[in-house]
Amino acid sequence: MELLRRNPRTILWGLLPALLLYVLFVIWPILRSFWYGFFDWNGLSQPVFSGMNNFVEIFSDPIFWLSLKNNLWVVLASVFFQIPLGLLAAVLLNGQVKGSKFFRTAFFIPMVLSTVVVGLLWSTMLNSQAGPVNALIMLFGVGLNQTPDWLGNPNLAIFTLCGVIVWQFVGLYMIIFLAALQGIPDELLEAAAIDGATPFDQMVRIQLPMVWPTVIASVVLCISGSMRSFDLIFVMTQGGPANATEVMATYMYNKTFAVSQYGYGSAVSLVISVISFGLILVSRFGLSRKEEE
Amino acid sequence: MRPSSTLRRVSTRIVTYLLLGAFAVTTLFPLLWMLYSSFKTNQQISLSTFSLPTELHFENYVNAWQTAKIGTYFANSVFVSLTSIVLTIVAGASAGFILAKFKFGLRGFVYGFFIVGMLIPLQSVLVPLFIQMRDFKLLDNPWSLILSYTAFGLPITIFLMESFIRSFPDSIIEAALLDGASIRRIFVALVLPMSKPVVATVAILNFLNNWKEFSFALIFLTRDDRKTLPLGLYNFLGAYTADYAGLMAALMIASIPLLVLYFLLQEQIIRGMTAGAVKG
Repeated sequence: MELLRRNPRTILWGLLPALLLYVLFVIWPILRSFWYGFFDWNGLSQPVFSGMNNFVEIFSDPIFWLSLKNNLWVVLASVFFQIPLGLLAAVLLNGQVKGSKFFRTAFFIPMVLSTVVVGLLWSTMLNSQAGPVNALIMLFGVGLNQTPDWLGNPNLAIFTLCGVIVWQFVGLYMIIFLAALQGIPDELLEAAAIDGATPFDQMVRIQLPMVWPTVIASVVLCISGSMRSFDLIFVMTQGGPANATEVMATYMYNKTFAVSQYGYGSAVSLVISVISFGLILVSRFGLSRKEEE
Repeated sequence: MRPSSTLRRVSTRIVTYLLLGAFAVTTLFPLLWMLYSSFKTNQQISLSTFSLPTELHFENYVNAWQTAKIGTYFANSVFVSLTSIVLTIVAGASAGFILAKFKFGLRGFVYGFFIVGMLIPLQSVLVPLFIQMRDFKLLDNPWSLILSYTAFGLPITIFLMESFIRSFPDSIIEAALLDGASIRRIFVALVLPMSKPVVATVAILNFLNNWKEFSFALIFLTRDDRKTLPLGLYNFLGAYTADYAGLMAALMIASIPLLVLYFLLQEQIIRGMTAGAVKG
């Protein structure tokens, strides 16, 4: 393919539109945000270099630590519920199940909806005036004199949000694991069944070890995804009541756009990137060690 | 076979279906509730939240579409989503073709440069991109969204297009070159038609992402007549606090295009979304 080799002009013109858009609206802003993180800036005036001040301020703000703690709850709930439930659903569907196509379609639907729709739908479902969730609780919980205030109770709200996030994403992990499970030869499971292995044994001894690399990839995906949680929490609680559901992305949004601290907000986004990258490295390292044992 | 194994198999089946049924109820009931509540009156929803509508109140949809301006938001979403898809595919396919079939020194670097974009969280550019759009005087302009969606759609698009186009045999392109076709002609008349399956996947994936996107819209748009659906829905809550029936109708309107696409093109959607997920 000599011709395709000596064609610098074609190469340049072919790449240019994509490169231009990508650099202008993805790469350049990121570099700028790293830069702004070291400035004191309200978005309008001349930015003033402030060294590490923003970072010092971030790490001494109790609300930042609260948002980090909440964010870790979201990460834990995602890793310990989405992945096991997704794996369970995949294992159940991987056997010869009647209507497996229906179940697969049903489980994946929440992934297709917009996060804003999911948030508003669940806000209404959990609403004490109109929502079916509390109506159901009243139906069964005889003797209960008060139904939970799912989003208004500061001790409860973050866990309510975790529940909705799990509801939304289980289907994604089910599909990922289903694809991995379908790669395991049937003979292996049949042979184990003849030797008297129960479905539970097969799952723990054969299927889980064989899909372990996929589990690792999913944990990483899950962590990076839940560190970014913003839309759902913003729509359902805006970080409230009284910062009780603040996560790092809502913290960044509120600092930047509500109180116009653009330099500070940029510093927070840098911190988010570093923390989520660190968590990904730690989990990858921890899980691959386990694999070797 | 031992007699216990039949019993065990039957009980496994029962447990399997019970679990699957419980999962299905959990995912489907909220959607069904959204559907049938959208045809009830607010009073009916508050009084008996589980009951089915006694008559179909289509006026909820009419009110949402006109009074709550869901129609305007819908039109904005269509324009923004479709324009970005076209731009993403044109720019992404052309870059994918060059990266797949041309050999040049920086090929590996340029490819990696694009692919890294799949790992970049949207939040890390929210603040600077807002400032950039303000500098470009694009705030409250649909092009702020179109350009951002296109740029953020490019990494996965280039990843999928490049790996697809790379599998084309070189001999086809060589033959066309010997026949005197220009590179541009080969791209338009040969490569693009052959890439139809991956173009479809990429179009669906980007459509879903753009149609659902909220964060960029939230920071770029303040004018009501420019808002896209997710942002408009979010404002619905503030404007009509207790209009549950209207809200459910509005949520249905926003979700119907996605659900129709999902039921028609389920395999492509699942493939596209998981390809994006595992890489991103």
